[in-house]
Amino acid sequence: MLIRVNDKEMEFCGNILDLVLSLNLNPKTCAVLVNGEIVKKNDWESFVLKDGDYVEIVSFVGGG
Amino acid sequence: MFEIGGKMLKSRLFVGTGKLPDYSLIERMYYEAGIEVFAVAVRRIGPNTKHTKNVLEYIPKDATIMVNTSGAQDHKEAVKIAMIGRELTNSDWVKVEIEKDTKYLFPDSFETLKACEILVKEGFKVFPYIYPDLNLAKELEQIGVEAVMPLGSPIGTNKGIGCEVLLKPIINEVKIPVIIDAGIGRPSHAAQAMEMGADAVLINTAIATSADPLKMAIAFAKAVEAGRLAFEVGILKEYEYAQASSPLEDFISG
Repeated sequence: MLIRVNDKEMEFCGNILDLVLSLNLNPKTCAVLVNGEIVKKNDWESFVLKDGDYVEIVSFVGGG
Repeated sequence: MFEIGGKMLKSRLFVGTGKLPDYSLIERMYYEAGIEVFAVAVRRIGPNTKHTKNVLEYIPKDATIMVNTSGAQDHKEAVKIAMIGRELTNSDWVKVEIEKDTKYLFPDSFETLKACEILVKEGFKVFPYIYPDLNLAKELEQIGVEAVMPLGSPIGTNKGIGCEVLLKPIINEVKIPVIIDAGIGRPSHAAQAMEMGADAVLINTAIATSADPLKMAIAFAKAVEAGRLAFEVGILKEYEYAQASSPLEDFISG
């Protein structure tokens, strides 16, 4: 199954939590948008990604 | 102490964390320069991104986080970023910064107004970054924003208070706090903003890109304090001709 994560295509099967963990990111400090919509953290485990989904993982960086 | 966004703060110097050479400086600024408010931005993180470190992990837990919506092109994107920010930080302080133009980074007033209307209704403490435009500032005050953040000069230019004649009316006429944001390059510029009666300043580039950001943060903190004290006392008026400090009578006659 092919999904896009931050503009990069990748093979992945599973839910959002699996994806975040597989990328070595800290689930506590990330937010995830699927096809432009924010997915609440409580729903990460039950949200199974589908073929063609566009995932953006965002977090905080230095900014003014 | 002064009240802003529902909090009592000691320091009137707010600091942006962009361009810092090392995020560990944030904690030192908190303890050694007394900075209580830190601005942060939301960006993609992970595969194929420049950003790998999460700034939130470096901000002391008692500090206040101001989520900046920079990068937003319109009000919808700004609202989305604010929502993400609240979910991740539990902070409801949001700096609304919306720019379409990347050459001057001037804020888009129309989109800013729309975003602020939505975010105030959603219960955020809203701090819009704006042109020094009195009418816009009054409109935003009516909507219920916590403070307005007019620019001193374009972001990152270090040019200082480039439009005092436009900023002063905002300071005089709106009742909510006024935070001068952007373009302040030197501690003396910050002191000038405070002497004018600004309630606070937000500095990023001038501290973060200096040779010693911690020392520069301390310099700015002192300048902000000095400017504020002078404002509270009252700045004296200027005269055309000399006004003798020593008495002009009973001179010795030689």
